[in-house]
Amino acid sequence: MKINILYRPAHTMAQIWLAPNESIVAEAGAMVGMSTNLALQTQTGGLLKGLKRLFAGETLFRNTFTAEGGNGELLLAHALCGDMAALELTPPGYFLASSAFIASSPHVEIETRGGGLRGFFSGAGMFVLKATSQAAGQIVVGGFGGIVEMACDGNLVIDTGHLVAWDAALQYKVGRSGSGWIASLFSGEGLVCHFSGKGRVWVQTRNSGAYGSALGRVLPARVS
Amino acid sequence: MQHEITHGPSFAMLCVDLEPGESVLAESGAMVARDSSVGMSVQLNGRRVSGFFGKLKSFVIAVLRKLVGGETMFVSRFAAGTSRGRVWLAPRMSGMLSHREMKGESLIVSTGAYVASTGDIDLRVRWGGFRGAMAREGLFFLEISGTGNVWFNSYGAIETIDVKGSYLVDTGHIVGYEGNLTFTIRSAGGGVVGFLASGEGLVCEFQGQGRVYIQSRNITSLASWLSASLPG
Repeated sequence: MKINILYRPAHTMAQIWLAPNESIVAEAGAMVGMSTNLALQTQTGGLLKGLKRLFAGETLFRNTFTAEGGNGELLLAHALCGDMAALELTPPGYFLASSAFIASSPHVEIETRGGGLRGFFSGAGMFVLKATSQAAGQIVVGGFGGIVEMACDGNLVIDTGHLVAWDAALQYKVGRSGSGWIASLFSGEGLVCHFSGKGRVWVQTRNSGAYGSALGRVLPARVS
Repeated sequence: MQHEITHGPSFAMLCVDLEPGESVLAESGAMVARDSSVGMSVQLNGRRVSGFFGKLKSFVIAVLRKLVGGETMFVSRFAAGTSRGRVWLAPRMSGMLSHREMKGESLIVSTGAYVASTGDIDLRVRWGGFRGAMAREGLFFLEISGTGNVWFNSYGAIETIDVKGSYLVDTGHIVGYEGNLTFTIRSAGGGVVGFLASGEGLVCEFQGQGRVYIQSRNITSLASWLSASLPG
């Protein structure tokens, strides 16, 4: 499998080349185009898992694309304007913001994890995804705005609304941004993720929730 | 202090490297990430003063800003401690960031354009008067003055225009202008028919010598296009 990210950073599209009989799993609705020899199979991977995904702000179904009788090409895109990144699986795996998942190699295990009550209040969603794999593999993630790879060397504080993915080897704790409750409440910074250890964090340069409220202010009120 | 703007013009982000003891003031909610050695504190979006009445006045100004300027009542101060530290900042809307070094002059920007500043920068809300109301750009502007660095954002890309004499800009595309320029609001096509038929709405005619910052997109146009395509 070869992944090429085109048209960075505003309107990216992932071009994926599959060898004969090779497959890739993608988020429902992400497909833009594909060669005719790709077979599409829709699966929930078990109803419970599917429902858990649905709660996590993802789609209930995922599609598996398999190249039959030759090489195949698949084009994938994200719903929001922004960048994409292809990450090589490492032994500890990755944590992903639930909205960041676009595609993965078929043997990559994508697990929905509860982010706890704090995650719920953070606006980043109550759930995070954990991607792990026994063998080599790749995942494709998407963000809102540009995606920046930041190196955490000890300590880094990141706004939860700007998180895309991070090395599972990093320790993280969701907490307040400022030192006091008053400061946190009024800072508008919301909740942040305190990272420690060594590893990489992928950050998006825009926060979709903040963008939505900025735009919402100039839109007329919803009439029900 | 080193600073860099990346990911422009669509999704610009500001990275500021603070030396020990240095600090940067930012619009509340603008932080993307920071080194944990960088401390964050919240202060009222008013002038820094001492004494009870001074603080009370500062509070009233902050409330006023929140109510009329569409700004936040509080700003965040990011300060490096005893070691160097880095902070990344980004605005809410898609678009570009611009940096300007202020040397005592004044710059008037639309409210909401302010992102961050360092040094001795003063922010004041200015009544735009009847002209502002007519231009639908809000009744208030933000006047930035003093010495230091200032960063402001736009919706879309930012173009700098050096006005020599006069220049026309659509009111929805103004990001800011230097304080020594004067302007009048009028219809682009001239007269009522020109105003209604040209689709250009109202324009600002700037006069004098100075710089105008304009943005390549108009948020009011986005909102009206979007609201027309929404259900209900």
